[in-house]
Amino acid sequence: MTTTAERPARGGSVGKGAPARNGATQSKRMRRKAILVGWSFILPNFVGFALFTLIPVIAALVLAFMNWDSYNAPTWAGVGNFTRMLGDENFWIALQNTFLYALGHVPLTLAIALGLALLLNQKLRGIAFFRVAIFFPYITSLVAVAIVWNMLFNPTTGPVNQFLHLIGIADAPGWTASTTWALPAVIITSVWRDMGYYMVLYLAGLQAIPQEYYEAAEMDGAGRWHKFWNVTVPCLRPTTFFVLVMLSVSSFKVFDLIIVMTQGGPGRATTVLSQLIYQDGIVQGQFGYSSAISLVLFLIVLVITVFQFKLQQRRER
Amino acid sequence: MRFKRTIVAASLATAAVMLAGCAGSPSTGGNADGKTTLRVSVWNYDQTPEFKALFTAFEKANPNITIQPVDILAANYEDKVTTMLSGGDTTDIITVKNLTDYAGYADKKQFLDVSSIAKSLPADKIPALKDYDVKGTTYATPYRQDFSVLYYNKTMFTDAGVADPANLTWDEFAADAKKLTKGSGGSKVYGAYIHTWNSMVQGYAAAQQDKSYDKPDYSWMKDQYNLTLGLQKSGDIMDWATANSQQTSYQTMFETGKAAMVPMGTWLIAPLLADEKKGTTKVDWGIAPIPQITSGGDITTMGGPTGFGINKNAKNPDAAKKFLKFAAGEQGAKAVASIGIVPAYHSDAITSQYFALEGMPQDATSKKAFNPDVIRPDGPTGTNGAAIGNILNQEHQLIMTGSKSVDDGIAEMQKRVKTEVLHQ
Repeated sequence: MTTTAERPARGGSVGKGAPARNGATQSKRMRRKAILVGWSFILPNFVGFALFTLIPVIAALVLAFMNWDSYNAPTWAGVGNFTRMLGDENFWIALQNTFLYALGHVPLTLAIALGLALLLNQKLRGIAFFRVAIFFPYITSLVAVAIVWNMLFNPTTGPVNQFLHLIGIADAPGWTASTTWALPAVIITSVWRDMGYYMVLYLAGLQAIPQEYYEAAEMDGAGRWHKFWNVTVPCLRPTTFFVLVMLSVSSFKVFDLIIVMTQGGPGRATTVLSQLIYQDGIVQGQFGYSSAISLVLFLIVLVITVFQFKLQQRRER
Repeated sequence: MRFKRTIVAASLATAAVMLAGCAGSPSTGGNADGKTTLRVSVWNYDQTPEFKALFTAFEKANPNITIQPVDILAANYEDKVTTMLSGGDTTDIITVKNLTDYAGYADKKQFLDVSSIAKSLPADKIPALKDYDVKGTTYATPYRQDFSVLYYNKTMFTDAGVADPANLTWDEFAADAKKLTKGSGGSKVYGAYIHTWNSMVQGYAAAQQDKSYDKPDYSWMKDQYNLTLGLQKSGDIMDWATANSQQTSYQTMFETGKAAMVPMGTWLIAPLLADEKKGTTKVDWGIAPIPQITSGGDITTMGGPTGFGINKNAKNPDAAKKFLKFAAGEQGAKAVASIGIVPAYHSDAITSQYFALEGMPQDATSKKAFNPDVIRPDGPTGTNGAAIGNILNQEHQLIMTGSKSVDDGIAEMQKRVKTEVLHQ
């Protein structure tokens, strides 16, 4: 019944000579049927993907070179949207904020997730409780997370600043009310939320490292640090690579947390690219311009991901 | 083999169903029995009783027409309607939430011209009609007209020995707020609560000085900002950063007696009446005219109409026109006033019906507050309204959090509106 078994071997002699002809058409029909079956399996999923992802993506690509208000017929703009972007202060601010967010979010989440995984990768009574506790933020509603952290970060009555006062910091940051500290506040919240998920990935990676490696290292007289650096880190490389790619992509796409927590404010202090796309497109009806920004965001993510893949390949060699 | 064929058929059927599901909306409209179904876009239908009140009254007056609400989440209303309309949706009537949205619909000619209905309505009784006039053409008619008043806690005024805020200027408002503020920490009571919206500073300044946002010279905002920042500094109002980070509710601030005065739209009356009835608040409240920049003149406040427009692609434009006329006129006004909503249609009969509602304050100040002399828009309107509003709001946050001085903030607003919106 398997479809591959019904396919004639590639480069085989089937179809040569008169007696085999009948068999050839039959196998052709079988093959067509097999292809049809294959298609029918992926079709339901593909239709959804095409309708809601592929076609909109292609449309956005085309729209980036047009002016469109979503009501009237689009008009050709050429590279107009891109030249406008170069002179648009909002775009540069959002681009800078997006990079700053990624620069904070990616390494911090990675380091904390790894640290937690190392800490919780032990055979202790009740360890499962701690693992669940750390994973919990990830499955909590993002809106709830944002609202609670907003309260924690309240500059005057929030527990964060009250604690800072307690330990003697008189001039505590204004967090979401300050243009300097709003982005760090968002980054802290997002790290807290995401660390559990990536910790689980690291835990899986850690548990896949054969115990013999550590034993061998111990025989050679390696200490804790050496074992970590020369056994754990290299063995975790595939996990780290995956975590890094996922984290970078999600950092550049960040939208929901910022919308709920700061709406991009105060002023434009936490406005990121995806929010600008939403603001210019959906709210202000400039779909051409916002498509152009989304194209730029796509290219940024693409370049960074490709770069990471290349780096990984070189390391493996 | 048969098994495989079944799978193929089933998968194709699934795909077909998925495609069909996206293909279009179910057809409604005129039925064989002469009944018409009107579809009207609304937000949070269950929590917004005015829609049901209006629809029920209309159906009673027009037994041949049934209204089917198209319910949309309030927070996403504008975006969802924009998406619907650009996709060629045939919902007959679109509820217009504010003047900024209205400008967008009118600009894109998404609504039918309803000037003839507007002309047939008594303009002197419906002042909000003129807000929908776009160069002589009207694309929507109003059914409710909200405006800002000053809500005040009568008990707190009496306790502090402060006279009722019958006729305040903003300076007097600030002085009263100082007298009414007491306590500290968790038990602190503020003299006033100024909500986080930029209209709460900029809107009053614009309305009472008759300024337009389209001209990028916003020096007229300066005094109102200084006044508000002064109140914030002295702790007589909750500071903006706290209110914003806690997502403070103006309704809760007033209902729990945490603030003695709250300038807010008339939309707060209906929930106050409802909570009083439920017993969740015991505040003895009244409304007063909104404080003025200069004393002795007209009472000028800010506000805006809510109305209905007819979709260009409407299936039943004639029945829709009937509904617009009904909602904007006296019958519609009676229906919405009965549940504590301020109708667009004004008359003595409607005012007395409104004040006869259970729980409404009965003093002369409250009645005076209900009939302001001038109501001006509460934010930027017109084609550039949304874009200008966005900039003004961002800079408002910077001024209120002290990230920028008033002068710098205003200068930045002017610069950004010039370059980003007007492309000068």
